[in-house]
Amino acid sequence: MDERSPVLEAKGVSHWFGDNRVLHDINLKVARGQIVSLVGPSGCGKSTFLRAVVGTHLPNAGDIVVYSGESHATGRRVQGPGRDRGIVYQHYSLFPFLTAQQNVAFGLMLDETSIASRLFMFPKWRRLRKAHLEEAAAFLERVGLGEAINLYPSAMSGGMRQRVAIAQALIMKPEIVLLDEPFGALDEATREDLQKMLLTLYDENCQTLEKKEKPPHTIFIVTHELNEAIYVGDRVIGLSQFWGWEEAGHKAGPGATITYDRKAPVYHPGEERDFEEFAHQRHEIRRIVFDPEAKHAPAKHRTFWEDKPVRQSSRGPA
Amino acid sequence: MIRKPIPQYVTVLLGMASVMVMLGGYTYLSHRQHQVNPDDKTIPSWSQLKEGVGKSLKESKRTGERWLIVDSKATAIRLFAGLFLGVFGAVALGMLMGCFTPLEAFFYPPMALLAKIPPTAMLAVFFVLFGVEQKMYIAMIAFGVLPTLAQSVYLSVKEVPEELPFKAYTLGASHMEVIWNVLFRFVFPKLIDAVRLQIGPAMVYLIAAEWMVGDEGFGYRIRLQTRIQNMSVVYPYLALLAAFGFSMDFALRKVQGLVCPWYAKGGK
Repeated sequence: MDERSPVLEAKGVSHWFGDNRVLHDINLKVARGQIVSLVGPSGCGKSTFLRAVVGTHLPNAGDIVVYSGESHATGRRVQGPGRDRGIVYQHYSLFPFLTAQQNVAFGLMLDETSIASRLFMFPKWRRLRKAHLEEAAAFLERVGLGEAINLYPSAMSGGMRQRVAIAQALIMKPEIVLLDEPFGALDEATREDLQKMLLTLYDENCQTLEKKEKPPHTIFIVTHELNEAIYVGDRVIGLSQFWGWEEAGHKAGPGATITYDRKAPVYHPGEERDFEEFAHQRHEIRRIVFDPEAKHAPAKHRTFWEDKPVRQSSRGPA
Repeated sequence: MIRKPIPQYVTVLLGMASVMVMLGGYTYLSHRQHQVNPDDKTIPSWSQLKEGVGKSLKESKRTGERWLIVDSKATAIRLFAGLFLGVFGAVALGMLMGCFTPLEAFFYPPMALLAKIPPTAMLAVFFVLFGVEQKMYIAMIAFGVLPTLAQSVYLSVKEVPEELPFKAYTLGASHMEVIWNVLFRFVFPKLIDAVRLQIGPAMVYLIAAEWMVGDEGFGYRIRLQTRIQNMSVVYPYLALLAAFGFSMDFALRKVQGLVCPWYAKGGK
């Protein structure tokens, strides 16, 4: 994998609400095939940053660029929500008026047809609809929800809903899938199941890399759970308002910036977790990102691109 | 225990019992009244009511028409036409207000004010604007239900979690698709609920207008028969009105269950 070929780039992103400075000069590159976990203390602006990436709340300064197209060299500045970024929210992750199958097929319908074509080319639309529903059913089968295709979200468990929501985003093959605390409201067992689902996606990335193809899934996950961030991500980013801004010449806190960016151990589905390794990185993140007394220079712990792999599984990316 | 569920058959039995109690109470009252005054027409006996229904269905010697048929037809046409226009206008206005903030700022104040004026108090205005023909009744119902219904639709659209339209955009939806395929579908069952609640007020407006200026329709007939204390005709008309309203409500509930099964299953 060419780790330097970006899918998403944040360039000098800053955001504020009146006098409340939230984000300060965020610079970030996410490469194709990565699963990036974003962590940070409450109120540090994780969701604000994610909304900026989704395009629903644009930053006051700086740009977010999504690279798409065959060569992935064409960058497009984010100016609103778009088809190239999929999103899975913690709540209202599905359309309540559609069944699981219809939810997954919804994006295909929106992407490949218009209201006019559905109205005026009805026979063609019917054929297309059948194909969409079949594709959605096959996708749901893949994520282990073949039995639930006719269920409405209100009849599904939280875990099933999030699984369908991830399928709904993935079927569209977006450049990047954004997950906003997707497992926050789930019990431990369900959460682990879904974490393994993400590891399966990472595994698919590794398999395509072995075939010298482009990895299909790039995922950016915002979570408040450190173990989860380290377990599912191959890269952990810490966003924090606690950094040495006084030394940087600011008279007041300019907002949160990236103070931690390091590799995370790569796991594959079914592999046992090394909790000792977790403890070490968790402690490091707590000290650098979550400690209100932290006065680090932000760049000091942003060493992802220079780091050697923390722990490389036999099939991990080079 | 509060809200403790009861078996279905108990619900049905209790519902039937309440109707029986009502009918029994009426029979008792009528019997008592007829003991005092055997010619009483204010609380007619069941046989008097039967006569009243017969009278309503009898062909008029003068016009050759049957009251009940003529009145039902006139009232139903006015009610359906008025409700259709009112609902159509309210959905369009409510959706636009809920989706576009400039339109919200422009339309919300007049809607909020108009919703507070009872249409019956504005009868004179409707007379002036639309005369006393059919269109006056239709306009009265349409303008009567529109402000309240438009506000309901507008508030329902505002209640849609922002995640849903945002997600639709990331799936490739256009603005129109977000309005039609997401927002409208989300508010549709609530719209049906709001229309159900407006059936009663719409009937009030219509009966009031027919009472005052009508030459056919339920309100007109009830006024005429009340003046000669012919309650054996009035009560069947009231029962028919209730059945009419109940049937509309029932039909709307069925439509809601068929078109929005997710809502009936609690996916609000």
